Amino acid sequence: MNELTAEHFLLLSAALFIIGMMGVLIRRNVIVIFMSVELMINAVNVAFIGFAWEQDSMVGQTFALFVIAVAAAESILGLGIIMALSRRIDSVDVADVTTLRD
Amino acid sequence: MSAEVLVFDILAVLAVVAGAGVVLARNPVHSAISLVVTFVNLAGIFVMLRAEFLAVVQIIVYTGAILVLVLFVIMLVDLDDLPDFHGGRPLQRAAAFVIGLMLLGEVAVAVLTRTVVGQPGPWNEEFVEQQGGNVQVLGQFMYSGYILPIQAIAVILLVGTIGALVLARPDEPVSRPRPRHTGTISLGHPRGAEGEFYEPLPLGAGASIVRTERRGEMRGGIIVVNDAESYSDHPAWELEFAESSADETTYADDGFGVGREVKGKRS
Repeated sequence: MNELTAEHFLLLSAALFIIGMMGVLIRRNVIVIFMSVELMINAVNVAFIGFAWEQDSMVGQTFALFVIAVAAAESILGLGIIMALSRRIDSVDVADVTTLRD
Repeated sequence: MSAEVLVFDILAVLAVVAGAGVVLARNPVHSAISLVVTFVNLAGIFVMLRAEFLAVVQIIVYTGAILVLVLFVIMLVDLDDLPDFHGGRPLQRAAAFVIGLMLLGEVAVAVLTRTVVGQPGPWNEEFVEQQGGNVQVLGQFMYSGYILPIQAIAVILLVGTIGALVLARPDEPVSRPRPRHTGTISLGHPRGAEGEFYEPLPLGAGASIVRTERRGEMRGGIIVVNDAESYSDHPAWELEFAESSADETTYADDGFGVGREVKGKRS
C-alpha cells in the first residue's frame, strides 16, 4: 500500500455508506435520518470520483456533479417534508408517523 | 507509506469518525456539525482525486447551502418534537449493527479481492492540464454529451422548488387583518385620524347619509365601528347635543352617529 489505489477510496466509500445506512436504521429523529441520507449520497460520490481518478476518465466526475444537483433538490424536499411533519403532527419522530399505516 | 497515502488516510479517518458522530450524537445540532466536518474532509479527498471543481462544489453546496438549511430546520422544529435518543429499540439497534458490520465485511472482501479492470480513459493529469484544467474539461464534457441530463436537472430543481413551496405552505392561509378591519374605536372624530385631512363637514351634512346596515355599536360609552368607512363625520358630542336638544330629530336604530337618519331640520 505504498501508493493510492482503488481499495483506499472504495473502503472509505463503503464505510461512509454503511454508517449512513445504520443511521437511517437506528435513529428516530427525521432530521438525523436526513443527514444520514446525505452521508450515503456523499459516499457514492466518493466512489464515483475515485473511479474517475483511477480510470483517467471524466464520466465519473460528471455523474458526481449530477448526483450533487439531485441531492440538493432532494434536500429541499426532505426539509420541506420535515417542516410539514413538525407542523402537522407536532413531532419529527418516525415512530409517530403512522397516518398511512393506520 | 507515501505522503499521499498518509494524507488520504488522515482525511478518510477523520471523515469516518465524523460520520459516526453524525449517527451517534444525541443533539441534532452536533450531528449537523459532524456532517460539516465529514463534508470538508471529503472535499479534501476530492482534491486528492483530481476533482478540484467538485471539491469546491461540495463545500459550496453541502456545507454552504444544505447544512444551513438543516440548521434552520433544526431551529424551526420545536424541541419538544424531537424524539428521545434511539428511543429504546434495542433489538432494532442490534440488528442494524449486525447488518452493518456484515455488509462492511462483505464489501471489504469484495474490494480487497478484486482489482479494477477496464480501459483507462485519456484524461490523465497531463492531458487534463493540457486542455486547460479540471473545470474546462468538466464543462466540455457536460455541455457536449450530457445536454439532456442537464435539462432534466433543471426541471428537477424547478419541481423541487415548487414542491418545497407547496410543502412549507401553512395549512390554512394566514389572513393578515387589514388595517381597516382592526376594530377601529371611534370617538366620533372625522376621518382625519386616518392620515388624510378632511375639511370638517358643516352641521347637518350627515342628514343625507342613510345607511341601513348596522356598522357600529356602542360599547361602554365608546362607539366601536366595524371599519373606517363607518366613521361618523360628526363628533360624538354633537350627537349628544342633537339628541338632547332637537326633539324633532329622530335616529334610526342602526348605529350611533353612523347610520342615522335625520328627519326634520336640524336646529
